Amino acid sequence: MKRHLLAALMLLATLPSALAAGEGAPRPFERGSWQKLLHAHAGHPTLVHFWGVTCGPCKVELPELGQFMKVHPGIDVVTISADLVPNLPDATRSMLDRAGLGSAENWIFDDGFAERLRFEIDPAWQGDIPRTMLIARDGTITTIEGSAEIADLNKWSDAQAATIR
Amino acid sequence: MTYRKPAALTVLATVMLAAVPNLAVAQMSHQHASEAACEETVLRCATKVTPAFGPDGTLWLTWMAGGQISVASSKDQGKSFSAPVQVTRERLNLDWGPDARPKLAIDAKGDIAIAFSTFRDQAFNGQVLTTRSTDGGRSFDPPKPITANNESQRFEAIGFDPAGAVFTAWLDKRNRVPAQQRGEKYDGAGLFFASSKDSGATYSDAKLAADNTCECCRLALAFDGAGHPVVVFRNIFEGGVRDHAIVTFTDPATPGDLHRVSRDDWQIAACPHHGPSLTISAQGTYHVTWYTNGKARKGLFYARSRNGGKTFSDPLAVGQLNRSPSRPQIIAGPQGLVMVWKEFDGQKTSINLMTSHDDGATWSKPTVIADTADSSDHPLLVSDRRQTYLSWMTKADGYHLQTIEGEP
Repeated sequence: MKRHLLAALMLLATLPSALAAGEGAPRPFERGSWQKLLHAHAGHPTLVHFWGVTCGPCKVELPELGQFMKVHPGIDVVTISADLVPNLPDATRSMLDRAGLGSAENWIFDDGFAERLRFEIDPAWQGDIPRTMLIARDGTITTIEGSAEIADLNKWSDAQAATIR
Repeated sequence: MTYRKPAALTVLATVMLAAVPNLAVAQMSHQHASEAACEETVLRCATKVTPAFGPDGTLWLTWMAGGQISVASSKDQGKSFSAPVQVTRERLNLDWGPDARPKLAIDAKGDIAIAFSTFRDQAFNGQVLTTRSTDGGRSFDPPKPITANNESQRFEAIGFDPAGAVFTAWLDKRNRVPAQQRGEKYDGAGLFFASSKDSGATYSDAKLAADNTCECCRLALAFDGAGHPVVVFRNIFEGGVRDHAIVTFTDPATPGDLHRVSRDDWQIAACPHHGPSLTISAQGTYHVTWYTNGKARKGLFYARSRNGGKTFSDPLAVGQLNRSPSRPQIIAGPQGLVMVWKEFDGQKTSINLMTSHDDGATWSKPTVIADTADSSDHPLLVSDRRQTYLSWMTKADGYHLQTIEGEP
């Protein structure tokens, strides 16, 4: 009986996230997600882009990032919607799709206490978006506040490719 | 029998667990992901609460909860409140941006003017709506757009000048249309303004005070000793530098020259979602607090101007940089200047206080006056004739109106 219950509980524990996140929906970004994300991409050059559906400059930059991802398959591209409330997974997903980022690793802030999420990522970050973090193969993080220049991203990407050789 | 019964029970338990915890988890995760404690329109569920004292010492609040704007008043400094009056007629997609909130202003007669923003479409274009009450807050006119123009508007500020006219300013994207038609790039938004001589029933045509200002930060509005509106806002200076600027109006229809509050050199093409705060003391001194992440300085700062905003003192750093200081507010209360801001230590948000009794020349050491372990609104300051209060909405602990201690 106990074992059955445990199995049922374990099954249930996995259900809500599977149900909530349909195919292609942004993953909920919660406490601890940042460390998991860093761990999952350790050793891979990774571009993490923070944005939001109501942010004007983000609307301009997002399609440029979609293009960047296409041209640089060697870079892991991660987007995190860091708009505060409410969560707007549909609007978020449709903007990502239109920008050519539907197949990127996409996340969405899922904690009303956004200070706590931002603090885990960078205690100095007050929530301004867009924001891009370039994580090198060796874990070195370069933060670009505001819209990134694609030329700078290309330069960083080329430098990352050079470190393999 | 003895075998089947437990199996049936297990199946039943599984079904029940499948139904109940899913609901519970969905609800929990929903509330967890929301800044609101609940979904109804009552004060307890509000994410943004704005206070103002009426001429008779009554505290008025307007808040955003459950997709509606409501108003209630308190005659005992926030211990108890009147039955809320709903200002909006239907659930709206209210502007939930970090720097948005409903605003209210009360004149000497007790008339109440209210302004707030909604997202009018799927592209998050905003619309500023206004309404008023001429029966002491018992009822409000149906909310109306502040302007007939349909381009995005957000971040309104509203206040009664001493002559009893309502002055409002907001950020408005209308000038991007002609710029785009000319094939030119348009940065930011225009700072527009209008005024009303009938407590907010009708407003004058919108006029431009400054173009290409930062499009995503709240404005700060105060009136100088002569009753002229003064607006501080995050501007976009040459080279995309989003530092603060100030305009003192020569009358409600005429903006004066634009002056720079500080050279922080924050060059950024982004939405800081972090606007300034302004108060003008009885001595006529302008006191401004703001956030920047510029090359010249980073964090929260305070400066004052004794010449009507033409020049400002050297910025004074406020708060502990390693505690993510944010949301500074300043007010010239009946007993001196009061400044509050948020800090965050990884677990809790605290409200920190400094006071000055020499018009901003020297400040007390910071002290923590409140904290909370979940999301919270900005800490706001409000004064009646006798003292200054902290007005703070928190998800975990509800609404607080707290007397600022330490005032002599």
